[in-house]
Amino acid sequence: MSAAESNPRITLGVDRGTLSPGSTSPAPTPSAPPETRPVVLDVRDLVTYFYTYDGVVRALEGVSFKLRRGETLGLVGETGCGKSVTAFSITRIIPDPPGRVVSGKVLYRGADLLWGLPAEARFRPVKGTNRVKVRRSFRRIKAAQARVGSVRGGGIAMIFQEPTQAMNPIFPVYDQLSEVLLEHRGEQLIDALMGSRPQGPAFRAAAGAVEASVRLNDEAIRSAAKALGEAVNLPSFGTQVFYMARQARAGGGENLAREIEKAASRLRLSRVQRGYLRNERELMTIARELRSVYISEMRRGEHERVNRGRLSARRLRARIRGFPYRIWGIHRRASRPLREEAFWRAVQALEGVSIANPVQVARGYPHELSGGMLQRVMISMALSCDPEILMADEPTTALDVTIQAQILELMNDLRARIGTAILLITHDLAVIAEVADRVAVMYAGQIVEMAPVKSLYTRPLHPYTQGLLASIPRVDQPSKKLESIPGSVPNLIFPPTGCRYHPRCPHAMPVCKEQRPPMTVEAPGHNVACFLYTGPSVVE
Amino acid sequence: MRMWVYVVRRAVLVIPVVIGVMTVMFVLISALPTTARTCSFYHPSGKVSPCTTTIVCPGHPNQLCPNPVYLSAVSALGLNKPIYVQWAIYVGNALSFQWGYVSQGSALGTGETGAGLPSLAGQSVATILSQFLPYTIELALLSLLIILIVSIPLGNLSAVYRNRPVDQASRVMSFSGYALPAFLLGSLFLAAATFAFGGPAAPSKICGGSSTVFLDFFGSWPQPPCQPLYGTTNIGPVGYPAWLITGYISTPTGFPTVDAIVHGQYWLALDTIIRLILPALVIAYTAIAGLLRFVRNSMLEVMNQDFIRTARAKGLPESKVIKKHAGRNSLNVTITVLGLTFAAFITGFPVVEIVFNLWGVGRIYAYSVIGGTSSWDFGVLFGTTLLFTYLVVAANIIVDVLYAYLDPRVRLG
Amino acid sequence: MSVTGSPITRRPSNFRRNLAARWAQYRRTWYFLRRNTLALVGLGILLCFAAAFVYGLYYPASSSVPVQYCATNGVTVQNLTGGNPCYDAPNAICTYPAGSVAPGPNCYQTPVDNPNFIAPTMTLTGGLGAFPFGSLVYPSADLSVDNPQFYNTYDMLVKGTVNSVSISVLIVATGALVGLMLGALSGYYGGWVDEVVMRITDIFLSIPAILLVIAVIIVGKSSGLVTFNSTLFLIGVAFVIVWWPFYARIVRSQSLVVREQRYVEASRASGASNGRIIMRHVVPNSVYPVFVQMSLDVGTIPLLLAAITFIGFVLFPYPLIPEWGSVAAAGAEILTAVFTQCGVKSAVCSVPWWQVLFPGLAIFFFSLSVNFLADGLRDALDPRLRR
Repeated sequence: MSAAESNPRITLGVDRGTLSPGSTSPAPTPSAPPETRPVVLDVRDLVTYFYTYDGVVRALEGVSFKLRRGETLGLVGETGCGKSVTAFSITRIIPDPPGRVVSGKVLYRGADLLWGLPAEARFRPVKGTNRVKVRRSFRRIKAAQARVGSVRGGGIAMIFQEPTQAMNPIFPVYDQLSEVLLEHRGEQLIDALMGSRPQGPAFRAAAGAVEASVRLNDEAIRSAAKALGEAVNLPSFGTQVFYMARQARAGGGENLAREIEKAASRLRLSRVQRGYLRNERELMTIARELRSVYISEMRRGEHERVNRGRLSARRLRARIRGFPYRIWGIHRRASRPLREEAFWRAVQALEGVSIANPVQVARGYPHELSGGMLQRVMISMALSCDPEILMADEPTTALDVTIQAQILELMNDLRARIGTAILLITHDLAVIAEVADRVAVMYAGQIVEMAPVKSLYTRPLHPYTQGLLASIPRVDQPSKKLESIPGSVPNLIFPPTGCRYHPRCPHAMPVCKEQRPPMTVEAPGHNVACFLYTGPSVVE
Repeated sequence: MRMWVYVVRRAVLVIPVVIGVMTVMFVLISALPTTARTCSFYHPSGKVSPCTTTIVCPGHPNQLCPNPVYLSAVSALGLNKPIYVQWAIYVGNALSFQWGYVSQGSALGTGETGAGLPSLAGQSVATILSQFLPYTIELALLSLLIILIVSIPLGNLSAVYRNRPVDQASRVMSFSGYALPAFLLGSLFLAAATFAFGGPAAPSKICGGSSTVFLDFFGSWPQPPCQPLYGTTNIGPVGYPAWLITGYISTPTGFPTVDAIVHGQYWLALDTIIRLILPALVIAYTAIAGLLRFVRNSMLEVMNQDFIRTARAKGLPESKVIKKHAGRNSLNVTITVLGLTFAAFITGFPVVEIVFNLWGVGRIYAYSVIGGTSSWDFGVLFGTTLLFTYLVVAANIIVDVLYAYLDPRVRLG
Repeated sequence: MSVTGSPITRRPSNFRRNLAARWAQYRRTWYFLRRNTLALVGLGILLCFAAAFVYGLYYPASSSVPVQYCATNGVTVQNLTGGNPCYDAPNAICTYPAGSVAPGPNCYQTPVDNPNFIAPTMTLTGGLGAFPFGSLVYPSADLSVDNPQFYNTYDMLVKGTVNSVSISVLIVATGALVGLMLGALSGYYGGWVDEVVMRITDIFLSIPAILLVIAVIIVGKSSGLVTFNSTLFLIGVAFVIVWWPFYARIVRSQSLVVREQRYVEASRASGASNGRIIMRHVVPNSVYPVFVQMSLDVGTIPLLLAAITFIGFVLFPYPLIPEWGSVAAAGAEILTAVFTQCGVKSAVCSVPWWQVLFPGLAIFFFSLSVNFLADGLRDALDPRLRR
């Protein structure tokens, strides 16, 4: 049993069992067939180009897929086929000069994340060259980023390829974790903090129990600390006491009572601190309402200027009211309970991803941690706010194989407990085989085959998929020659006409050069885009 | 490693550089003719100057005898000993702040600078510099403040709003500041200020013309030679000591602003700072010009990094992404560049002090190099060079320490 | 370039391919430069300066009329017309209307018919006239010549272009060369060579440039090693001594990177000597930032020269050797004193502001255009900002 499963206190940093109140993702029922689960992300005809000096790089040419609740969709392909670009285009993280999501629809919770695309830029081809001049409307792009930003983090989370570069090197780990927590779950955090009861007979009894358990083993300390947390009505306090007790056990154990008292005193909020917390909570509420306004804008397809204006006015008033708390000396003292609470929740989040010494890791800096550890931290950051969708862009490529196995096991584990839909982007077919429910194979910016994982591996339909699978050397079938697909990846500035695979395809037909093959259904859940197959077209 | 360990290590690393600078100075000094060296670096106790090899023989007005003071100077300075001994003597003197004396024949020595400074002949160079240094330091601190306040936010804005009006405006500012000669800029500012704040001083307050006398270098308030620049101010008591504006020394710390506060004259302190703003602006303008581009470029680089993408993907609002994540990271590069530009920063000081009639070290340096071969003062020249080098080195240490404080990766050693 | 790889094609020779690649690189740089308006403006202004440079090489000195300059401190020279005398340059500047009492001992009447004191006569419609930018009035303090060759600011500007530009370019080129060599050696060999060179550059970078230049020139002049005629050489040497550390630093950091590249390893494996590797690989690949820095420095040197002259240290005994900074600085001291003591209006009427303004503007525009070009070049050559 992994550490995560054996530890009943894994809560991923939020005050609930495995779900957050108000979250819209109930635990999945693995027995339900995939097609019947509701669709959380519907990508339709995503087209993304990069406008460079050498010409227009047609990175994505009409990518469509659906992601259902709780499933893991693997996006597989060679380097440069556009997998990462797909993920970045969904949440519009591609660098806008030179890239541009040209057209498409991304439906999430009924809202089109790419609403307002055509108005943001105008294109003018330059005669005599391959270049296209793009005139961007800075204001509209900024507004669009603000809109999509309401969905990032809380709704759609991402983890990236190089974990050592993905975190800010000058801030400690807990700071970056608590940023996310405060941003998306700040209100619950503050409510829990203000509702804690760090005194009374129950508290003293539980504290006594903790001191008594110091002499016993770790399990006893943990359960005693958990009980103390419940007595105080704040589980993160229990985490704090647990680590204090463990350190006390290693070091002596005499001062534990005093330390518990000192820790409890941080929960006794002064008037200034309460005022600060109320002000912060109001700002967070306004932020949340702003996010929902953005989502409804994207849903309805029109601006909601009135609502936004009202919220901005409220926010301004709240900021003015909160100004006295921001003076430097007062700010430090007023925000201390919040910062400490965020710290211990970050520690809880790190526990949730099976990190053995979360307190040291949280206090440390990113450059002090290894790649595997950092990727765990990134996963905990991404999942700490219960996103409905997790997009993982080659999460294990930069790690070595043993760490890769651990990370994948962790992701599986978390998926089973929380039910996040995962879009896993990788070029490693072995990883797909282990983790994914369905697979989409991409080539040169187009999806060529989409199937449940078993069907893909047992019966690959598209010639490219067949070539990919054939090129994997197999231990049980030794052969003298290594198979490979002849030719090389096409130049996306001048992509091949029609089906982009036709220059390398052993079954190429004349029609492949002229038309792009539509996506057809060959078997339940198994779609192919190839003229070799003549099934019915996919119904949108 | 701990912070103070880093500081100590950094300070220790600086010692070879300082010795190297002194060596360079020594090489230059040793190329000077011997009379120049005895003139500038030896303090005679009597009235005979060590600047000439021969003097009129006492008692025989038509004959020339060898100058005994000159000979004792030569032996005291070790000028007839091997070169490494001379080097050792020089380094020892430089480290203990014995930088020579104002020679009698120079412009500073004879008092013919035409600006109201009396004759400083025979005074120790280090003493004189230390008296004029606080004013320069106040000017430097004020301009540093202006530089930081203007260049960092403006540079960040130019990077975030790349190629928009803010960026274009900052580009114009940076180019014009880079290209304008300091004296032209200073003259223009001065003309504008004179135009804005009124005409020349009233006739009764024109410079007296005759030079003043330092009553005492320590602890007294010398008589002012001139009334302050561009008209009078109406704030503060009538007849406040104008020397606070034109320089010289003040008690007890030597920093005019601080001393005014110590003496309870708050309006006077404010007045001093206001009079320093225009010169500080001129110096800052040139420095901002160079720094702005670096801030912008470093911010652009930072914004292309992966962790900014992660911060956006976490759902943080864009303002927080830029202020917290990008801003703090680009600060590191900015501080480093600021340290590197300190040496160039110094170039503006003599010019600005002359233009705005401030009595700082740069002004003294200028008076040591005006005129021709006969009016150069080597002691002040090399002393000022050494002093400014010390300042640059100290500034670099501070910058490195600040950098280590801001970026924890550096402390790994 | 072709898209799909056909198995074997005829490859053009290496030399032609390298040349083609390099030409494509130049074309690409030019494309980015062209898109940058400021760089184009800078290029245009620089072309004007280049034209003035060529013009100045063949430009005859205009006047054969000897002009009297006022020397410092009371030594009057002969009057031209016998009318109003020259006035004492550093001290006398206040003016008062004719007929009233002089308010102080240092105030003189404005010599309205002093032949030296001629304001600019350029008009847009009337052409240039004899004094298009005014006459040169104030000498630098160290003047001891009474048969000068220049009469008006226009001459000085034209001839001064030659001096200023050539001095800047020569200094920068020499400094860059020295710095390049030392930096490449230091970066490539590493070890104690690197340490020593880095310490030396640290030392030189800690001493402010202006102070070191003046110190070197003063020592050179006092020690009798140089005579009057080799002042230019001395100035050049002083500036090169000050400037090479910047380039050494840049080249060293670049060569540290280049040293680790595969092709250097391959070269070494195939037996190339260290010198050959440095010349053929390290130096050409480190050169781009040096170009940018060189173009920036060409703009900075006239400023530095002007600053040095302004604080009183005479570099060029103008008017024999006209140089923008010297001329401007000579008049600027008077100008600022007049501003503060007599106000702006009387300053404009009694001081030859044109002697300060036009050379100052020449420096400004030269430096500005060079900076524009350098900035455009930097943006165009930076691979990260490439779009």
